[in-house]
Amino acid sequence: MPKLDDLDLTLETGSKGKKLISPAIAALVPIVAFAVGVHLYSNELLLTYMAIYIALAQGINIIYGFTGYLPFGYFGFFGVGAYASGLVMLDYNVPPVLAVIIGGVAGALVGAILLPLFRLRGAYFAIGTLAASEAIYTIISNPSLQSITNGPYGLNLAGFYSSGTAYGTAIALAALSILATSFVRSSKFGLTLKAIRDDSYSASMAGVNVPRQRFYAWLIAAAIAGMAGSVFGWSTSVFYPQAVFDPALSVLAIVFALFGGVGTIWGPTIGTVVLYAIYNAIGVSNPQYFQLIYGMVIVLLVLFAPRGLAGFWNYITTKITTVRAKND
Amino acid sequence: MRKKTFPVIAASFGIALAACGSSSTSSSSSGSSGTSASNLPAAPAQITVGTTYSGSGSFATSSLPELAGLKFWIKTENAKGGVYVGGYKKRIPLKLIAYNDLSSATTAATLYNQLLTQDKVNIFVSDFGSVLTAPAVSLAQAHKVVLFDQTGTGIPFFTPQNKYIVLTDLPESSIWPNVLAKFLISKQIKNLAVLYGTNDFDASQATTLKSILSQNGINVAYYQGVPSSTTSYGTLLQTISASKPDAVLEFGYAANDTPFLQNVQSSGMHFKMVFTVFPGQLLSLFQQQVGTAGLAYTYTYGTNFYVNYPTVSEGLNSSQFKTQFAAAFPGQLNSLSLDGYNTGLVIQASLKNAKSLSQTDIRAGAAAASGHLNTLNGNFVINSEGAQTGELLPVAQLFPSSSGITLKAVYPASQATGSAVYPAPVG
Repeated sequence: MPKLDDLDLTLETGSKGKKLISPAIAALVPIVAFAVGVHLYSNELLLTYMAIYIALAQGINIIYGFTGYLPFGYFGFFGVGAYASGLVMLDYNVPPVLAVIIGGVAGALVGAILLPLFRLRGAYFAIGTLAASEAIYTIISNPSLQSITNGPYGLNLAGFYSSGTAYGTAIALAALSILATSFVRSSKFGLTLKAIRDDSYSASMAGVNVPRQRFYAWLIAAAIAGMAGSVFGWSTSVFYPQAVFDPALSVLAIVFALFGGVGTIWGPTIGTVVLYAIYNAIGVSNPQYFQLIYGMVIVLLVLFAPRGLAGFWNYITTKITTVRAKND
Repeated sequence: MRKKTFPVIAASFGIALAACGSSSTSSSSSGSSGTSASNLPAAPAQITVGTTYSGSGSFATSSLPELAGLKFWIKTENAKGGVYVGGYKKRIPLKLIAYNDLSSATTAATLYNQLLTQDKVNIFVSDFGSVLTAPAVSLAQAHKVVLFDQTGTGIPFFTPQNKYIVLTDLPESSIWPNVLAKFLISKQIKNLAVLYGTNDFDASQATTLKSILSQNGINVAYYQGVPSSTTSYGTLLQTISASKPDAVLEFGYAANDTPFLQNVQSSGMHFKMVFTVFPGQLLSLFQQQVGTAGLAYTYTYGTNFYVNYPTVSEGLNSSQFKTQFAAAFPGQLNSLSLDGYNTGLVIQASLKNAKSLSQTDIRAGAAAASGHLNTLNGNFVINSEGAQTGELLPVAQLFPSSSGITLKAVYPASQATGSAVYPAPVG
């Protein structure tokens, strides 16, 4: 049985040059689009949240797309990040950008604490993460911890509010998450994760340290969510615990990632941009029909593009290739 | 290749940050600085009022009647030719822009920004409650636009640094229980149980109440916070009952108060006094969900909906509003629709006093109205931070009657429409 170190990954994923250009383009396109977009459409907060959702969808992509573990409680890391960064800003006057990094570290630390959840699989894992996140929410919003977390009274970061810098940081985070996905996808590490996703027992037999590799992916995803929560808290500025520990955050991030196509670099980004744009367009133009239209759109997409846009794209390109081959 | 790629990415981050840095916050079209009479800009063809509402979700039952009240105010004023603006000495028609935030703070935030950056509304109004108001606070501050905060009574909103917020319809949550505390002291209640939701609105009330009662030597034998999502109180009631309280006070949202009252009834327990927050605001809903037996002789905040204000300085009085609103918006009449209408009256008074439509002048107009504005919601008084300190809520008790349940204010004496029955009769 071949060992992973013996595999020639370059052969599988293309030349080294291509390996670097592709992620660079995937990260550069949203950077440029967001930088230009804010001058065309001035609802900067909406664009900030879109960038945050790209990061979250990419985080889901790393843990679900590459390992097969679906964390319904992903919002827990988001909330932890928002609180950790908010508290270091308020208590220690830490600059917001540095606080965002601290939020990411806090998310990763909580991820490490929740590592025993990987004893569970499938729906049990999903529900386990949900329960853990609810527990974290209850702890943080507990009035007995008011001296530390301000309990149920939320945080007011108005003194640190800077919409432009928060926007730039959100874009940088989105790009960083795309680069992280690219790294995972094209590295030996990513290959081991895919092996774990497809058959963890066989991967283990092939010499993959399954718990360790899964742990690394989990930490990366948790850190991304922590940083995303930090930027969210900073850009929203005044928030309550229920706003940052909102299960809807996980639901949207998962839907965006699935719609675009997990296991790909572009899928979650495109999925987020398209669905979040539709979400807001309907909300502004036809608020009374919002849920009806949005629900129908998702049902249609699930029916006709179950593997997301990436799967649909593959289907189209395969068809074209087949037709061309026949014609030749 | 690696050497070439990463400088490009780094440069792009730089470009993005530079591009974003320049796009910081932009002010509303109505401007932010005060205006003197000599350089007053031309009057706009209409004044836009922007708000969000919860068309679904946990806040919908409270948000929708509040929006209906605001719509009623706009309809009433437009029937007269618009709202009167002091600076222009004429009426200007009103136009409402309302977006559905689905009870989500994240969605509300982007829609608030839409109102400020795309619609450039003249009057900025937040949705129901503190959770959905929170995202609007810093946006209003950053855009230098006055936020007419309807019912977001959260303490963090009101700071000396924030000059752009006015709480219109309710007192700040920490002073809600002041009258209730006095009532408990007057009844010489010595042993108390307090159960509260761990959210800003409920916890701040519980904290204030406990502090006042402790200063007056009243023992709070049971004091417990529970998650706001709690809907089962059976075990908690057993523990409360064991402490043999003279009064049980539950501070929650409507979604908590309803199961709490249902659980008290189904448990067969009897307490001398049971207090919950929301029956006074949504009485007909509670009557449907809890029933007459479950509500009988319980206490609540007697919102100004149940207090008659025959003489007002602005808008309709209590009875006029109830008649006209019920005709215009059938089935939506309750204390929150009154709050929505009252928001309009505060805006109306602010515009009447304003020298122009600049946000600074509108805020100054609201400050000028403070203490002088008497509406169907009581006396409007705000402090320097924009927090409401008037419109205090009386204590009310729910009495069984031929029509189901009747709410009567029982304390203070100046607002009382009935006498408290304490202890509550058994059965």
